[in-house]
Amino acid sequence: MTVLSTIAAAALPILVVTLALGGVAKTATAGRETSPGALARLGPAVLMPERFARAATYACALVEFALAAGLLVVDHPAARWLPVAFFAVATYVLWDLRRRRPDVGCGCFGDVSDAPVGLRSIGRAAALTAMAALVAAVGVTGLPHVTVETAPWIGGGVALLLALSPEIDEVVSRLRHRAPCEQRPMPPGRALSRLRGSGEWRVHAGSLLADEPSDMWRELCWRFFVFPAQGDAEVVFAVHLSGRRPAVRAVVVGADGRVAATDDRGDASLRESTPVSA
Amino acid sequence: MPYRAGERRRKLAAAVLGRDPGPAPRSPEETQPYDVVSGDLLDVSPHLIILETADGEQRRLVIAPWATAWRGGVVAPADLPAGARVVVRALRGGTVAERIWADITRITGVIREVRGRRDLTIELDCGPHRRERSIVVPYRASGRIRVRHPKLEPGYLFDAIGLLDQGTSFAHLPATSQPPYRATAVPPPQMTYGGGQAGISGTAVWADFADLTNLADFADFAEEGIAEGVAYPMLEREDAGCDDTGVSCAGLPYLALGSLLRVRNVCDGRADALPIVACGCLAGRFCDRCLECGTSPRGRIVELAASSYVALGGDLTKGCFNARVGLG
Repeated sequence: MTVLSTIAAAALPILVVTLALGGVAKTATAGRETSPGALARLGPAVLMPERFARAATYACALVEFALAAGLLVVDHPAARWLPVAFFAVATYVLWDLRRRRPDVGCGCFGDVSDAPVGLRSIGRAAALTAMAALVAAVGVTGLPHVTVETAPWIGGGVALLLALSPEIDEVVSRLRHRAPCEQRPMPPGRALSRLRGSGEWRVHAGSLLADEPSDMWRELCWRFFVFPAQGDAEVVFAVHLSGRRPAVRAVVVGADGRVAATDDRGDASLRESTPVSA
Repeated sequence: MPYRAGERRRKLAAAVLGRDPGPAPRSPEETQPYDVVSGDLLDVSPHLIILETADGEQRRLVIAPWATAWRGGVVAPADLPAGARVVVRALRGGTVAERIWADITRITGVIREVRGRRDLTIELDCGPHRRERSIVVPYRASGRIRVRHPKLEPGYLFDAIGLLDQGTSFAHLPATSQPPYRATAVPPPQMTYGGGQAGISGTAVWADFADLTNLADFADFAEEGIAEGVAYPMLEREDAGCDDTGVSCAGLPYLALGSLLRVRNVCDGRADALPIVACGCLAGRFCDRCLECGTSPRGRIVELAASSYVALGGDLTKGCFNARVGLG
C-alpha cells in the first residue's frame, strides 16, 4: 500500500504538468493562424466540423487547465476521478482515430503532435489513465511535494511518458537538421554585438568616426557593416552568422575605392570559406 | 538606414571577402539574353515601329514579317494605338521587332474588397513597396479569372495579367491558379539537407516595377526608374524596411538589396546577372509551379522587371518561366 501511495504521490505532479503543457500547447496552436484546415487535422478537432475546430481546441485546452487546477486545489474526490474519465476517453478517441482517420495527428500537444496516431500515443494516453486512476484510488490530495521516495518514481514516470511520446522524434530531428545558416533569420543587432566583441573591432575601433554603421546588409551567411573612418576611408566588416564566436573580417577601403589595408590571413582559406553559390 | 547603391555594396563585399566583384562568366550552356526596347509608342506602320524610350531617345525598329503584337489579345502590330506603353523583344542589336506587348500590366496582390455584380471591381493590397490598386475584371473575362481564382474574398491572393487602358487596369488572363491559403498563412518551405546546391530552381514571374514607390533612397535606381532587375522575397526585415519580407515557400537564402543574382531561364538557356532592386514581398507568398517546360519545383524565387523577363525569353502573357538562380 505504501508503495502504491508513493507511486500515486509521484504521478500527481506528472499529471498536473502534462495537463498544463497540453493546455498551453493547444491554446498556442489554436491562437496561431496556420494554414487553413490544419486544426481540423489534429486530435479532438477532427471530430468537429471545420468551423468549430478552433473552438473545440480551445475548449479542450480549458478542460485540461481546469483538471490540472482541480487536481492541485480541490479536495473533493470528483476532482481526481474526472482526469481518469478524461484520459480514458482520450485513449478511446485515439484508438478510434487510428482506425478511422489514420492520417490525422493526435494533437495532444497542439501542432507538435501532428504525426499520425500510433501505438505510442495510445500507450501514452493509457499510461496517463493508469496514473490518474492510481491517484484517484489512493486519494492523493494537496500540492505535490518531491521527497526522496517519490523522486525516482517521478523520474521513471517521466521517462515512460517520454519514451511513449512520438513528439520527441520530431524535436530531435528538428535539432539535428536545423535550417542552414543562410536561411536562418538573424537580427542585425545580434551580429553587431558579436562584431563589437571581436578582435577585428578592437583593431579598427580607434579609427572609426561613428558608433553606428553607415550601411549594413546581409548576403547568405555574412552580414556586412560599413563604418566611416578617418581620412575619408571606410571600414567594412563582414561577420559570419553562425556560431557563438563567429569569423569576422575587416578591410579599410580608401576614398578612391581601393583597399587600403587588409587583415593578413591567408586568402586561400578565405576563398574556401566563402560559398558563392546561393 | 540609408541604402547605398547596389554596385558599391558589391564592391565592398568583394573587397572584404576577397572575391571577384564582377559577375561570373557565362557558362557554355547559357546563351545571350534578347535585346529589349521599351517605351511609349510614337508611330507604327506595318513595317516600322517608332518608340520613345524612358530617357527621351527615339528608337526605330523594323517589324519582322513574323512579328506578333498583344494588346488585350493578339493584334496586328500596325493596329497598336499611338501613346501605348510597349515592350518589344528585338533581334539584331535591337533593330528588328519580333514580339510586341502593349499596355500590358501584371496585377498581383492580396484581395481587400470585391464589389460589383457584372463587372467586378477588386481592391488589391500590392505589398508595402507598391501602391494599392483598384482593378476591374470585365464580365467577359470573369469566367476565366474565377475558374482559376475560386476565392475572390478578402485575404486571398490574386494574380492576373491585364491591360492598362486610360489609367484603369482590366484583368484579362489569370496568371496562375490561386493559392488555396490566405496570404498570411504561407506554408513553410520543405527543408532539404546535405550537399551544396549549385542553384535554386523554381518559378520566375514578372511584375510592374513602375509601381514601386519608396525606392527613392536606393540611389542606383532613383533617377531613371527601374528598367531592369529583380525583386527577391528573402530579404532581412530590418534591412528592407518591410515587415512582410522574409517569407518564401521555396527555402531561399537571405540576400540583400543590391546583391547580384544570376537568373537562368531553364526552358531556353538564356541567362543574365541582375541586381536585386526590390523586396518581393508578395512573390514569396505564392507556392505555384511553372509549367512552361516541364514542371518546376514549387515556389516563386524571383520577380523580374518586365524588360528583364522578356530579355530572358519569357512571354509576358504567360505569367512565368522555369528558372534557376544562383548568386553572382
